[in-house]
Amino acid sequence: MSPGRLVLGGLGAAVAAYGAWLLWSRREPADVLDAAVWAGGAVLVHDVLLAGVLLLGGVVLGRVVPRPARGPVVAGGVVLGSLTLVAVPVLGGFGRRTDPTNETLLDRDYTTGWLVLAGLVVAVVLVVAVVSALRARRHPRTGDTPT
Amino acid sequence: MRTVPRLPDQHSFSSRLRSAAVSARVGTVLAVCFGVAFLTGLVSHYAQNPSQPVPFPTSPAWGYRLTQGLHVISGTAAVPLLLVKLWTVYPLLLARPSLRLRRLAVELAERLSILLLVGAALFLLVTGLQNVSHWYPWAFSFRSTHYAMAWIAIGALVLHVAVKLPLIRHALGHDVDDTALDRPGATQQGALSRRGLLRATWLATGAVVLATAGSTVPFLRRVSVLAVRSGEGPQGVPVNKTAEDAGVTDAARDPGWRLEVVHGERSVLLGRDDLLALPQHSEELPIACVEGWSATGTWSGVRLHDLLDLVGAPRDSEVVLSSLQESGPFRVTLLPANFAADDRTLVALGLAGAELDLDHGFPARLIAPNRPGVLQTKWLARVEVRA
Repeated sequence: MSPGRLVLGGLGAAVAAYGAWLLWSRREPADVLDAAVWAGGAVLVHDVLLAGVLLLGGVVLGRVVPRPARGPVVAGGVVLGSLTLVAVPVLGGFGRRTDPTNETLLDRDYTTGWLVLAGLVVAVVLVVAVVSALRARRHPRTGDTPT
Repeated sequence: MRTVPRLPDQHSFSSRLRSAAVSARVGTVLAVCFGVAFLTGLVSHYAQNPSQPVPFPTSPAWGYRLTQGLHVISGTAAVPLLLVKLWTVYPLLLARPSLRLRRLAVELAERLSILLLVGAALFLLVTGLQNVSHWYPWAFSFRSTHYAMAWIAIGALVLHVAVKLPLIRHALGHDVDDTALDRPGATQQGALSRRGLLRATWLATGAVVLATAGSTVPFLRRVSVLAVRSGEGPQGVPVNKTAEDAGVTDAARDPGWRLEVVHGERSVLLGRDDLLALPQHSEELPIACVEGWSATGTWSGVRLHDLLDLVGAPRDSEVVLSSLQESGPFRVTLLPANFAADDRTLVALGLAGAELDLDHGFPARLIAPNRPGVLQTKWLARVEVRA
């Protein structure tokens, strides 16, 4: 390891240790545990649940979706999946219980908003899939369509 | 042993999309997002810190609106980036540990640092998105825990970059389809090309930003269908906490309300009519919430330092502001001397040409330039010069 990388790595470790000290020293042990449960829980939800769902999605994709449509479907899945995850708190509207009389918080129709976004993504995926299927039929041997 | 089915390991993943070439590119953008969120978060933390060795500046008035808007936008943008990044490196999670002791120790240390990085990073994004929507399903204090986790995440990120630097440099210095860094056996074509996956990732990042940033970027309001706020509200400005939820409705509507201005032994009591009889000023200032939303309003009222003059206090006095609220972490706030001395700092009595709405802090509230929204004390009860 070059000296520069060693210094950078040491700096990073020191900064992370400072964060751990901040976390530990300024609250009750029960709150530290609660925070650790949220961080560890998030890792588990990702590494087991989300990663599993994506693996399963890959299998389904290979069996159900015709080859020329797979690229657009995956790209659409990345976009719509991200939008949906970001939308969980507003779609659930959980914050309304914190401030029951605040009409300026979570004041949109999120279900309609999400449906519009989903509709847009599906429409674009369909158009792109149909266009690439037509192209693949017209030029069956050119390899420009990713498989 | 041979009869036991093989557990999946990194060689079970054959897609050539799960590669260092893709990971380094997505990771670079992700690191920029985390860097921006970290720095803007530090600004916000400092702005709320009661003790400031270097006073937080009062100009530009839109400074905090910009930094806190960027904080929430960069954090939101990090969601698709982090998920794609983790997807590309997922096989390494299942890599078989080394059987050589020294090698194993190094591997364990690196895995621990990655666990810290991923745990803290996911914690920041998850709790940040929840906080923006006022969803608090936990017991810990959001602000201080988010702050501590941010130091863990940024430290673990710097360490991670240091460990992976040669790999990152090679990946970024070569074409994305270069196979030199690929795992052996990861040769299967995916549904997308590597470029296609990158484009989809950038598209997803842009989409989540456009769908949410309208909370703080006015021209995106119509596009941002997933934003926590439409930007509408009484007198054209959203509300963070209503008078009813703060439990101040009766106290704020009490005709006997007086603002107490105190400087040592001297004090004055001013009703709304007394305040309206003082020289009135109007300022166009943003209200910028720590949750990332912001809106500009035209506020009218009395300059704070005119009130300080009434009790013979120097204009650049540190001032303690108390609200009619009976509880809450921001019931009492400290206004630094440079903010008290600024002409634009008002005890506001009106907004958008009309009497201040109850939910905006009627009978009187503080509005100062470049100040976090939580410190723009509403339903003022007392203004006291700090001894």
